Amino acid sequence: MNGAAPILETRGLSKRFGGFLANDAIDLSISAGEIRGIIGPNGAGKSTLINLMTGVLQPNSGDVLLAGESLVGRKPHEIARKGLVRSFQVSRIFGNLSLLDNLRAPLLAAVSTRDVRAEGVAKAHRLLERLGLARLADAPAKTLSGGQRVLLQAAAGFMMPSLSCYLLDEPFAGVNPVIKDQLIELIEEESRARGLTFVIVSHEMAVMRRLCRKVTVLIQGRIVAEGSLDEIASRADVIAAYLGRSFA
Amino acid sequence: MWSLELFTQALIAGVVIGVIYALMALGITFIYSIVKMINWSMGEFYMLGSYAQYLIVAYWLGPDLWYVAAILSAATVFFVGWLIEPILIKPMFTGGIERRDDYATVVTIALLLLLRNLATAISGPYQRTPGSNLPGVMLGPLPESGARFAAFLAALAAIALFTFLLKRTWLGLALRATSQSRVGAQTAGVDVLSLDKIAFGIGVGLAGLAGALLAPVFMVYPTDGVVTTTKGFEIIVIGGLGSVPGALIAGVALGVAESLGATFIASAYQNAYGFVLLLLVLALRPSGLFGERLRQA
Repeated sequence: MNGAAPILETRGLSKRFGGFLANDAIDLSISAGEIRGIIGPNGAGKSTLINLMTGVLQPNSGDVLLAGESLVGRKPHEIARKGLVRSFQVSRIFGNLSLLDNLRAPLLAAVSTRDVRAEGVAKAHRLLERLGLARLADAPAKTLSGGQRVLLQAAAGFMMPSLSCYLLDEPFAGVNPVIKDQLIELIEEESRARGLTFVIVSHEMAVMRRLCRKVTVLIQGRIVAEGSLDEIASRADVIAAYLGRSFA
Repeated sequence: MWSLELFTQALIAGVVIGVIYALMALGITFIYSIVKMINWSMGEFYMLGSYAQYLIVAYWLGPDLWYVAAILSAATVFFVGWLIEPILIKPMFTGGIERRDDYATVVTIALLLLLRNLATAISGPYQRTPGSNLPGVMLGPLPESGARFAAFLAALAAIALFTFLLKRTWLGLALRATSQSRVGAQTAGVDVLSLDKIAFGIGVGLAGLAGALLAPVFMVYPTDGVVTTTKGFEIIVIGGLGSVPGALIAGVALGVAESLGATFIASAYQNAYGFVLLLLVLALRPSGLFGERLRQA
């Protein structure tokens, strides 16, 4: 474990769906300010892990700690308000709401404090400007292209007043290179400016190499490797599991 | 017997009653949008509103303060809904129930029977009226009763207030976001289960307000909500489930269709003309005028 105190931890986190063990005693420790990648083949349990951490699913055993405080049993909105925010693989933007309202919605988490909200609206305008969506501020979000929706959803997370740790579930899937770059830059910027922690689930190895110093490999519900992407890529067992070969 | 004056009269009468029916439709569609359920006991919340209005006007404030009574009646019904929601409706989301639509249907129909029979047991089957001393008015060529015109104006004011709440306040933003995606709203830190209580309260409160406003126009009795509720459901099918402008426009359309039909075809079939309109809309646009087709996820 490295020097900085972990902001997000899981201890022996397990989730069973019927006879299928989706997460098997996951011990994960993520330092404040880190950008951590999580990779693994389809069905490895990556989304389950995120759902367990954000209260969408309840674990069968184990614990999730945000800055030392257990999150198990908390409701999704309580966890979001505590600063552990997520994005979804399938975009959860509010289609009939304007772009601006989509970015104002997370300000609801700030319990009626006028200043936070006024500041937040200014930030929403800055983010839209930053992402080249300013002229669409009042248009309904359903008019956006797929890539623009991804940007909007990611931006909405940055609007959470208490945000400390941001979990992004496959943010780059099916996104064109220009938008991918915009999103990467946004993550790097917010990371630098606010010292935010990120956990990014992705299959895009080039992006992971660029963003994450450390990557965790999840296979069949278990952590099988942790380290830099280059270290991991050289491990025979990881390659074998990724390619679906049995150990020879 | 066609004449422009008769047509104008029927048109105005239709708009007046249509806006009041729209209040009921708004309540149904609003609860559906947020809580994702059809509340089959809306007519009984209308009935509660009408009895509240009757009691407050007849025994306390008198007919001059009908508008204060209407606000108090609507607030009472809001409060009843706010209390009932966590007991009856919330288990739909927290009780591990798989067939939520079926659950909501059974629970709200049970509530309908309970409230209707309680009203009969307590007040008897008698028809009562809070009375009104508002003078009649001329709406262009149409002489209209004061109570009906007052109900029309109050319904317009309530719809304006409702729209303001939805479009201009933070609570409204939370409600609109939740209606789009409950999961998305939770991710944004919105406590959707507490919001359900408020939304259910507002929805039945709108029905209660319709009941209070129409109490002096129609009579007050245990099943007095049936007709207005039927219209409310017709309106949301015509306008599209979940659409606020749809409820308004379809409400007026239904009122006008019934009024014109009654004037120029035969008044005995007044309630049938709305259904003709409904069938036409279903044939031409099955999702309603403003409805969105549900995407199969």
